[in-house]
Amino acid sequence: MLLPKEAHDFLNENARRLGVPALQPTEDLFALGVLDSFALVDFIGVLEQACNIRVPDSDVSVPNFQTLETIEGYLEKHRG
Amino acid sequence: MPERVVTNDELAPKLGLTSEQILRSSGILRRRWVEPGTATSSLASAALRLALDDAGLDSGNIDYLIFGTMTPDRFIPGSASAVQKKAGLRHIPCVDIRATCCNALYGLQLAAALVKSRTAKRVAVCLADVQSVWLDLSPAAANISMLFGDGASALIVGGEERESSVEIVDVLLATDGAYVDDLGLRSPGTEFGAGVARDLTPEQCRPHMKGQSVILQASRRIASACRELLQRNNLGIEQVRWIVPHQANSNLLAQVARALNFPVETGGVISILENFGNTSSASMGMALDNLRRSQRLQPGDYLLLPGFGAGFTWGAGLCRSLV
Repeated sequence: MLLPKEAHDFLNENARRLGVPALQPTEDLFALGVLDSFALVDFIGVLEQACNIRVPDSDVSVPNFQTLETIEGYLEKHRG
Repeated sequence: MPERVVTNDELAPKLGLTSEQILRSSGILRRRWVEPGTATSSLASAALRLALDDAGLDSGNIDYLIFGTMTPDRFIPGSASAVQKKAGLRHIPCVDIRATCCNALYGLQLAAALVKSRTAKRVAVCLADVQSVWLDLSPAAANISMLFGDGASALIVGGEERESSVEIVDVLLATDGAYVDDLGLRSPGTEFGAGVARDLTPEQCRPHMKGQSVILQASRRIASACRELLQRNNLGIEQVRWIVPHQANSNLLAQVARALNFPVETGGVISILENFGNTSSASMGMALDNLRRSQRLQPGDYLLLPGFGAGFTWGAGLCRSLV
């Protein structure tokens, strides 16, 4: 799994607070309420710190972070 | 400020929301709206007269006017001319700027440069918007129409220290035109047909906002601008006593403070959103006035002034209280 533990913890904590069961790879994190615009900004901060990367402002858009799968795809591309 | 107070209770049903939903998503309880037919220049000139009185100056002491608005009286000419007439200024240079919610920052940067270059001795930076007349008061536009209020502020920039003055230490500004479609008002303008837009629906002739894009970009870019500004002035966030932001949305202000590790429990983030909403061009000047009148400013206090607006354009100002 590319997604670091800190990022999983962040999402799982939000899911737990909302009563959402285990997150599936293709579930829409925004539709579930696990992420919203403000939470995404915090989440990207967690990702940047944990992965030691800098997400360009132009990449900060919902489609890149919509599901666990798209997040991992983004990280793979970013690292690639 | 206009006298008419529009509460969430009055506005919410039109927008298909509850008062609590507006408060929770924006931090706004009420806003002021003008009476129909009130020109933006009328609000601006009233604010300028108050600022002149407050500074112990008269209209003859101003030798340059910068008027920041995104809701001008007319498409042509710029509304600075109307402010000049209504405020009784001499036949001085008067110019409009249209940097939306960053008008205060652009105004301060330009005014400071005019004074430093000795082009002008005292510059009036007037900031005003009348937004209520443009708003679509239907549920389709609830995300934008719940935010905006009308208002004006005015700042006098000069070379001499006066009571309650602050020094403009530095201003950092940036723009990314890739987001022109995410926040704004398309007509009137040449891109879509001069005068009455030919191919636009009535909804497209109202202000529009992609809220998600605005929040995401504003949160990141404002914080980056603040960090860069502090770094180039060899300051840390712990040396900043006050954050006086453009009053966009209370959740955004909280996010920026958190990103900067600024301790909000000190009451150092100045917010007037609850009573006035987002007054765009005017908001930063109004917040600064609120802080100044609170008599909490101490000599040497650093003030950080972050802003973000349509364009997108964003930045931050750094000031120091001289008191």
